[in-house]
Amino acid sequence: MVVRRLYVGSGRNKTGGEQDAFDELDPKAKKYLRGDAANLGVIRDKKLKGQLLDKEKLYGQTAKAAAKAEKWLMPTEVGYLEAEGLEKTWRFKQETILQEVDIISSRKPFDMILPDLGPYKLEYSLGGRYMLVGGRKGHLALIDVLTMRLIKEFQVRETVRDVVFLHSEQFFAVAQKKYLYIYDRHGTEIHCLKEHGVPLKLQFLDKHFLLASVNKFSQLHYQDVSTGEIVGNYRTGLGRTDVMQMNPYNSVIGLGHSGGKVTMWKPTSSNPLVTMLCHHGPVTCVSFHNSGYLMATAGMDRKIKLWDLRKFEALRTYSCSAQSLDFSQNGLLAMSNGSRINIWRDSVGNHDYERYMAHSMVKGYQVGKVCFRPYEDVLGIGHSMGISSILVPGSGEPNFDTWVANPYETKKQRREKEVHSLLDKLQPETIMLDPLKVGTLMPPTKKDKPNKGDLEAEMEAAIETAKSTVFKKKTKGRNKPSKRARKKEEAVLKTKRPFIEQQAEDRPLKKPKVEEAELPKSLQRFVRKKKTL
Amino acid sequence: MAKEQKMEKIKKVKMPIVAKQATTNMNRTKRMKEKKKAAQGGCRKKSGPHLPSSFLKELGFQKHPPNTSEQEEGEEDDDNLYEYEEPLPEEEMKKNRRFDQVENYEYELPKGFEDEDVPSDEGEDVPIDEDEVENDSEKHVRMLQSITGLPAAAFKGMEKRNVALTDVQSDLGGKITVHDLLDPLHGKTGYSMLRKRLNQLEKAPMAVQSPLPKVEREKLERKVTYEQSKKEISKWDPLVKRNREAPSLYFAEDIDLGVSTVGAIAAEHEPRTEFEKKMAALVGNPDIMEAHMKDGGRLLELNKVSVEDVKLRHNRLAKMRNLLFRHEIRAKHIKKIKSKTYHRILKKERQKTASSEMNMNPEAAKEAAIRQEFKRAERGLKAQDEGTRAAIAEQLHQHALLKRKMNSINDNSSSDESTDEDSDKLSPGSDGEGVARLLNKAKEKTMKLMEEEEEMPKSGVFALPFMHRGLKKQREEAYEEAHRALEEYECSLKSLDGEEAECQSSPDKNKGRRIFTGPKSQLKVPSTKEPNCLSGSDSEGDFEEFREKEEHTSEIRPNFQVQSALLPSDAETGQEKIFKNFDDVVKNPGSKTTYEVAIFASDSWKKMGGENSTANDLKNTAEVHANNVIAKLDSVERADKSDSDSDIEMVDGLLTSEHVPSYKLPSQDVLIHRAFAGDDVEAEFEKDKMDALNEEIPEPEKPVLLPGWGQWTHVQKKKGIPSILLEEHEREKRKREDSLKTRKDANLKHVFISEKVDKKTEKLHAKNLPFPYTSKEVYEHSIRMPIGPDYNPVISIGALNRPAVIKRAGVIIEPIKYEEIDPYGNSEAKKKPTHSSQKPKNTNKAKLAGRKTNNKS
Repeated sequence: MVVRRLYVGSGRNKTGGEQDAFDELDPKAKKYLRGDAANLGVIRDKKLKGQLLDKEKLYGQTAKAAAKAEKWLMPTEVGYLEAEGLEKTWRFKQETILQEVDIISSRKPFDMILPDLGPYKLEYSLGGRYMLVGGRKGHLALIDVLTMRLIKEFQVRETVRDVVFLHSEQFFAVAQKKYLYIYDRHGTEIHCLKEHGVPLKLQFLDKHFLLASVNKFSQLHYQDVSTGEIVGNYRTGLGRTDVMQMNPYNSVIGLGHSGGKVTMWKPTSSNPLVTMLCHHGPVTCVSFHNSGYLMATAGMDRKIKLWDLRKFEALRTYSCSAQSLDFSQNGLLAMSNGSRINIWRDSVGNHDYERYMAHSMVKGYQVGKVCFRPYEDVLGIGHSMGISSILVPGSGEPNFDTWVANPYETKKQRREKEVHSLLDKLQPETIMLDPLKVGTLMPPTKKDKPNKGDLEAEMEAAIETAKSTVFKKKTKGRNKPSKRARKKEEAVLKTKRPFIEQQAEDRPLKKPKVEEAELPKSLQRFVRKKKTL
Repeated sequence: MAKEQKMEKIKKVKMPIVAKQATTNMNRTKRMKEKKKAAQGGCRKKSGPHLPSSFLKELGFQKHPPNTSEQEEGEEDDDNLYEYEEPLPEEEMKKNRRFDQVENYEYELPKGFEDEDVPSDEGEDVPIDEDEVENDSEKHVRMLQSITGLPAAAFKGMEKRNVALTDVQSDLGGKITVHDLLDPLHGKTGYSMLRKRLNQLEKAPMAVQSPLPKVEREKLERKVTYEQSKKEISKWDPLVKRNREAPSLYFAEDIDLGVSTVGAIAAEHEPRTEFEKKMAALVGNPDIMEAHMKDGGRLLELNKVSVEDVKLRHNRLAKMRNLLFRHEIRAKHIKKIKSKTYHRILKKERQKTASSEMNMNPEAAKEAAIRQEFKRAERGLKAQDEGTRAAIAEQLHQHALLKRKMNSINDNSSSDESTDEDSDKLSPGSDGEGVARLLNKAKEKTMKLMEEEEEMPKSGVFALPFMHRGLKKQREEAYEEAHRALEEYECSLKSLDGEEAECQSSPDKNKGRRIFTGPKSQLKVPSTKEPNCLSGSDSEGDFEEFREKEEHTSEIRPNFQVQSALLPSDAETGQEKIFKNFDDVVKNPGSKTTYEVAIFASDSWKKMGGENSTANDLKNTAEVHANNVIAKLDSVERADKSDSDSDIEMVDGLLTSEHVPSYKLPSQDVLIHRAFAGDDVEAEFEKDKMDALNEEIPEPEKPVLLPGWGQWTHVQKKKGIPSILLEEHEREKRKREDSLKTRKDANLKHVFISEKVDKKTEKLHAKNLPFPYTSKEVYEHSIRMPIGPDYNPVISIGALNRPAVIKRAGVIIEPIKYEEIDPYGNSEAKKKPTHSSQKPKNTNKAKLAGRKTNNKS
């Protein structure tokens, strides 16, 4: 067995060959172009065309430069497990993996047996350095996983349903028996948010500083934690649920319901953006890929489905059940079922997930939550008897951007970042299904397109007004009736013209109808069939 | 000089010609003019009547003016076009033939002409003239003689010689050509040019066409100028094109910031005003400068002050000092005067002036009166206030205290814990203690008030005897009332004492809410249940607890299971605690102390609230009956089913429940329906989707019979609904279907995508296409790249964000300067347009340097 380049947080440079640098550049540069240039042939305006051409050239240079910089700024590559011969990667035990990896990495997996205070939930901070552990029976602990130091541990003596970090490890929100509480890292209760009702599940939208919760009465609350304002409060009307997950790409909240539906919400609309019927039974968990267009759902109907959120179609359907799902930064999918944990991976990149690793806890341990640690090849597991973590090579992003999240953040940096992130805070209305739509032209509303009758009426009215205008009495020669008549006619024509032109524009050019010839029967089987659920 | 002489000669030649035919009068004037011209000589300027330029141009082309008269040839030869031409004398114009025609215009030499020595032959020819000339000359000579004092012969001779010279010239015979005249100029500067011009004039054809009409001429002119200017301007084209195409223009390339030192600015200063000039003269005095340059010795010499100056200054100072002293003495003296009369007089005087002012100004008087009045009123009020103010303040304070207390009791929506604690304090559990405290406080307050009221006001209105009496009366009443209140308090306190004795035995532990009292017990409690926990196969925590609960209840009594099984899982947590409570009580009665206390605590509540026999039973008897438990569980169930705040009720009101109607099993149908609630999800979803679609795109209303129209005769019923309505309905329907088809989720059975427009996002979109863009796609593609520093490498951020014009404030933008550039050069070359090659500042520097050197020298 081989563990390839397992970089667990430790930056190790790869001194690759230089000659293939330029070959790689193009596809990488394409990524930084962020899409193709517009078709400039359409533009008639020479000046604009020139400007855009200049800009496109600049963009090209920028992309190339960025791709080149990537070579040096992102030196580490993703690790993976490699099987030799008849070996299977999912047969590898953690012990064998541990023997292969470096010392620092070998310290990362652990098992913490906490039998008393019930099944545990866990949550990592954005940088992946801190872990928040919440026991069902009121046990809360904040652990620095880098040094394995316990920062704070205390008991709230109430049911704890969910825990979530706010923008930094300084604050965290806890869904307790009756209310939602916010504590700081010293365990001091900062706030008790009674408006949220009895929260079941929490999510924090870090770019928007919104704390989202779904409560016992299936109400979805959005609260701005920087201002304290309740941004949204919506009834889902689909029954009690504690399946909630944020799409990291567009910050849309996905909720799984007992009717097999998955709904997606944003804080500024009272209706779900999308309602999908994903399963025939209740949905047990939902998870979103980092790229934003891939969603995994698991239902009680013993199905795990992968969805393409651009087309809203199921890409794959696997029949196995899962209590919790989680996508890693690099797209590995972890799922837990009872005391067993499976990790899937699409090795080819076509979303054809297959088994990559497996791990089973001690029999009888019920895994409640699996959660990948950001920027590390580690999977955290919260189960009924405590918490554990295992090594999953290739799960975390090997190169971190200190502007986004820094696992080795100092106090000063953290403070600086807090200010910056507050300044860069996005408003709740910027959450939409396709965030690239911000800044584009407003989608045409129905009122903008007046129908033909309206247009005609408008024209009539305009003509009437033109006709009824009284002309000034001009001097002798110009006041002839013929001249006046002509003038009136001209005015009417002038008012008519824009309407007529508009109608002409609206009227589609008559095209010869292309008859869709029926394919010969031998070819008909190659016609793509419509996918059904 | 030679040229001048020649000119003179010509004039002399001409002179007699004119003289011949002219009358004497005219002749004289003319001669005078001719003389003037002669005097002007070679430095003849182009003067004359102002002619339009076009005309002058025309003249330039013609060699000769269309004037054939021979007599003017001589002048024409001179080629002085701008010379003023005398109009033809009237006799020559032959107007009406009033004058005799003269045949011979040619100058003929007199027959007797032989030698230049001959003093005067002119007299013979023109006797009439001669006299006059003679006269004139004589007069002239005389005048000259008188002025200069020279003999007359000297002047006469000069004149004669002149005449002789002319005669010689004329004697040479033939015509005098211009070339002849030019010959002596050979070798002079400008000769060649003159000759060339002459040649040109000679070669040019004599015949001149008539000029074109003005319009045509102007048109031609315009055409020429247009072509010229076009050529001129088109050379700028590549330059302008380059500048236009450049993504950004630079205007601040070479700025020399080195000038603005203080020294430099001072060096540029030039004295303008009188004062400045004086200063400059002093500062720039070469003596002083030199002294500075060399050493201080000379400076000291220059610094000398004259004795007179010093004396003057000294005197002036002494005078000033003296004046000041006197003034001071006077002021002191006035101040020292003790005489009252003096001061009175002074005061009166002052008042007088003031009153006179008031008399003059009624407004000021009014104001003064108001001020006076205000002062008086204030004084009165101050005396009055002293007594009442303290009382009012006290009352306000009391009010605020009470209000706060009330708020703290009522409020439970705020997010801080403190209010909760307050409410806890007032909760029935700790009630006895609280009441006692309240009573005590009240007692204290009244005592204090009584003590305070002993003081009496000693001044103001309240000091008056009748007021004093009234106050005393009031106070006595209040005192009595306070006494009564005190007695009441004491009574109630005494009654409370009995209960408090009980309560005080466990004052700390009477908070019934918490169950996990300490880490120890906390660890202990679940540890007993550990196996149960593990055996729970489901990961849902709720279920686990549920199970746990179930087991305990089943221990107590098997038939209880049904009821607990039917408990809604929602309320599990609240129940759990209670269950645990009871479990412990049931299981190990030996260690029940804490819980017993908790129950004790609720005693006082019982007293306040109402009755509860079951609770009493529980308290008194150590053993627990299953029946009791069931009853309580029932109550718990009820509490759970009620609102969310039922939890509170349940926790500290464990024993509140009266008898509750027992749970009723739902009917079989309902149960089955519930069990298979999520059976046909697809159909359900379809229905939901249709509903949502109908909400977004409402279905058109079906046309109905029009009320009132043909109802009596049933015409409408027979004919049916008018076709127009039907058609419209059809159209609407079709439209709806179309819009349904164009939806994104039209082909997706399992998906509903809301297409509601969010008004809040409107501000995030562009309302119209920005100006140069005409297509939406191009615009949207053009904004796809982020341009911020977070998303781009450093090298391209500048280029991406550079403004169109780069210019520093205050930079003077010079007009564009011509330079040769390759119009087909690549775009890289045109990166830096030298639109403004700013004036180099070197000149300035040189100037400064020069100045400095000057100063030094």
